[in-house]
Amino acid sequence: MSDKHNAQEVESGEPVSRRKVLAWLTSMGLFGSAIVSIVSNLVFIKPRATYGKPTRFAIGTPEQFPPGTRIALGDQKVAVIREGDKMAAISVVCTHLGCIVGVADTGFACPCHGSRFDQDGNVTGGPAPKPLPWYELSLAPNGELEVDKGKEIESGKWFTV
Amino acid sequence: MKMRLSLAIASLAILVVHGFVFYQQFFHKWENYQQSYFDQAKTLAKNDAEKETFAGRSPKIEQIMVTQFGSERVDRCTTCHIASDDPRFLNSPHPYKTHPYSEALGDKQVDGRWERRHKFSDMGCTVCHDGQGRGLTEFYAHGEDEFWNDPLMGYVTQENWRADFKDKLKGKEFMEANCAQCHTEKNFKATPMVNKGRELFQSKNCYGCHRIEGISNGTLGPDLSDVGKKWKIDYLHESIVDPRANSATSFMPKFNLTNEEVKALTIFLKSRRGFNYAETTLDRYRATLKKPSSNSAMVQPTEGNQPTTLNTDTSANYGGQLFTERACAACHKLGELDGGIAPDLSFEGLMKDEQWLVAHFKNPRSLVPDSNMPSFGFPDTEFKALSAYLLTQNKVPPTGNGQEIYQNLCLRCHGEKGDGHGMIATYLDPYPRDFTNAGFMSSKTDERLTASIKNGVPGTSMPSWAKVLNEQQIKDVLTYINQNFTKETRTDIKQRDVPEQNPVAMSPESVTRGESIYLQRCTGCHGRKADGKGPNSLDILPRPRNLLNAEFVTRTNDRRLFESILYGVQGTAMPPWIDYGLSKDDVGDLVNYIRNLNKNKQNLVAANAYVSSH
Repeated sequence: MSDKHNAQEVESGEPVSRRKVLAWLTSMGLFGSAIVSIVSNLVFIKPRATYGKPTRFAIGTPEQFPPGTRIALGDQKVAVIREGDKMAAISVVCTHLGCIVGVADTGFACPCHGSRFDQDGNVTGGPAPKPLPWYELSLAPNGELEVDKGKEIESGKWFTV
Repeated sequence: MKMRLSLAIASLAILVVHGFVFYQQFFHKWENYQQSYFDQAKTLAKNDAEKETFAGRSPKIEQIMVTQFGSERVDRCTTCHIASDDPRFLNSPHPYKTHPYSEALGDKQVDGRWERRHKFSDMGCTVCHDGQGRGLTEFYAHGEDEFWNDPLMGYVTQENWRADFKDKLKGKEFMEANCAQCHTEKNFKATPMVNKGRELFQSKNCYGCHRIEGISNGTLGPDLSDVGKKWKIDYLHESIVDPRANSATSFMPKFNLTNEEVKALTIFLKSRRGFNYAETTLDRYRATLKKPSSNSAMVQPTEGNQPTTLNTDTSANYGGQLFTERACAACHKLGELDGGIAPDLSFEGLMKDEQWLVAHFKNPRSLVPDSNMPSFGFPDTEFKALSAYLLTQNKVPPTGNGQEIYQNLCLRCHGEKGDGHGMIATYLDPYPRDFTNAGFMSSKTDERLTASIKNGVPGTSMPSWAKVLNEQQIKDVLTYINQNFTKETRTDIKQRDVPEQNPVAMSPESVTRGESIYLQRCTGCHGRKADGKGPNSLDILPRPRNLLNAEFVTRTNDRRLFESILYGVQGTAMPPWIDYGLSKDDVGDLVNYIRNLNKNKQNLVAANAYVSSH
């Protein structure tokens, strides 16, 4: 059988034998499906949705936060701050050990180990290693402000109403 | 060579299958919807900052977690319906379309911008719409899957629902059933269909048989307090329009309801889910403290059948008022009113007396054991008033020749063709006699037939006509029945050797012997409990006699019982047992056994003895 094939090969001048083409196709199929299944298994490791509050949530219209507001939203663990036209959403979770910091006009203070932060969340004292993170604030089309806790932004990047 | 080729083909096929699965699992329609929404929103954006927020977003599963309505809800509806709260998409096609704003829902317009009364972030979606909140494909999310109990209310009908009323279960008014989960007030104006259904529940006398916590106390039918939680609207609808579709032995009547009324009742029943979302667990706990006897979740006063102040009026006038208020005409006929389900009460005063009526009101089954009239829980004074009212219905109806009498008085039960299939026959047990059954009719003497008309048949719905018809009229109607329905010339009835009195004395031994014969010979039709509902009974018409019918058994003499057992009942499935080897002594034992079954009810029958004296 192989003699006959070789003869055909020689006749047609084809450098690759039919057997090789088939072997190549077979291995492509098998390796291909192996790769696809590895990739899909890897993708599965990260869940697409987890239980818990959504990271993106609405907090109300800008009118509900008149200039000078500094209030903490307990459920969402975010402080909403408005100075004039500028607004920001700052985390109230202490960067030291995760206590909820108190919000005052002069800044933030942690009741657990005495960390202190200034009005923009920068560390001014105590054991906290990092400033309080700022979250992205945006205006949704229905006129409500939305905070996205999934997106940290650099401190001092205000949202203009 | 062939082996290599097939191996190559097989491995490529595996690759294709893997690729297909990969595509199915990791590329979703909702990603396209979201991407398309972001693109559209970017072009609609008024300034760069807005554009930037949309540019920064990539498709991901959006979900709303709601814990305040019963168990935790995870609603991912906004994953596809991502623009549902974006007012710029009001006129877009689904799934981009903005959820409509409506003043009926309590939405308000402030400075030209709508504000929602029910915020999606607080309420989620499924609490109003139903459907499967976790679903990410249309099929599952909308509850089209037949195993999902709550398909999208009023919009989605499942594949296996009955085709003949599928289209009647559509419409957004069905969603009112979900509004009523929180808005449980009796006349909440945004849920007109629920309110209408609640009124119908009273006015169609559903309350008589069914219990709904806080509304009614019926015991004859299933408790409907949480029927909306257990069943889908197709089942509720079917149970109203065709009660025997699911349970062949159901004796719930088919009420005369318009499509609109059925819809209102379906919506009302769907709203009965056994809980009230407006209450907190604390409210519910307080409610149980107030009423220690019931662990109710509904803090509503019982409506309808339990008046707060007891009216001691027992006059016929008040009875007439009650007759209307309590919706008796939902089943019965009285004058012009006709429910088409239960007997005519237009001349009840000529057939029954007060004692019978009151006893029957208190427990219909003490006098007619297989009656499907519910035992209403009204106070005794109301029963007296109703009885007084019925006793005033004593005008002799127009009579005439045999045919006219039959048409006026007999037709409702015995039917136009005299075959026992009258308008209300299906709701009577035992069934009305079939006059076309010549075998039965010819084997009974004129005296016996006359007596049945004159005195009625105890324990059944056949009343005594003695005060309505005179001897001649009874004769006329019998002649009419014989000529038009039985159509057989009556021959002399063979006299049989049957004892007048049971020759076997009543004794425990005799009863035991009778029981063992009964269990061997009779249970197939008459049933182990002797209630006439044996395994063969559904195939037999007329149905086997209910031997626990004390009214009937006690008033039937030994002679008739002997004759029926020994020589059978012609025209029915009761065979002549003398041919199957039963002796007179055996029959005597059987008669003792049957009488013994009804022994404890004899006092009751004695109390009603006046009936037979009529």
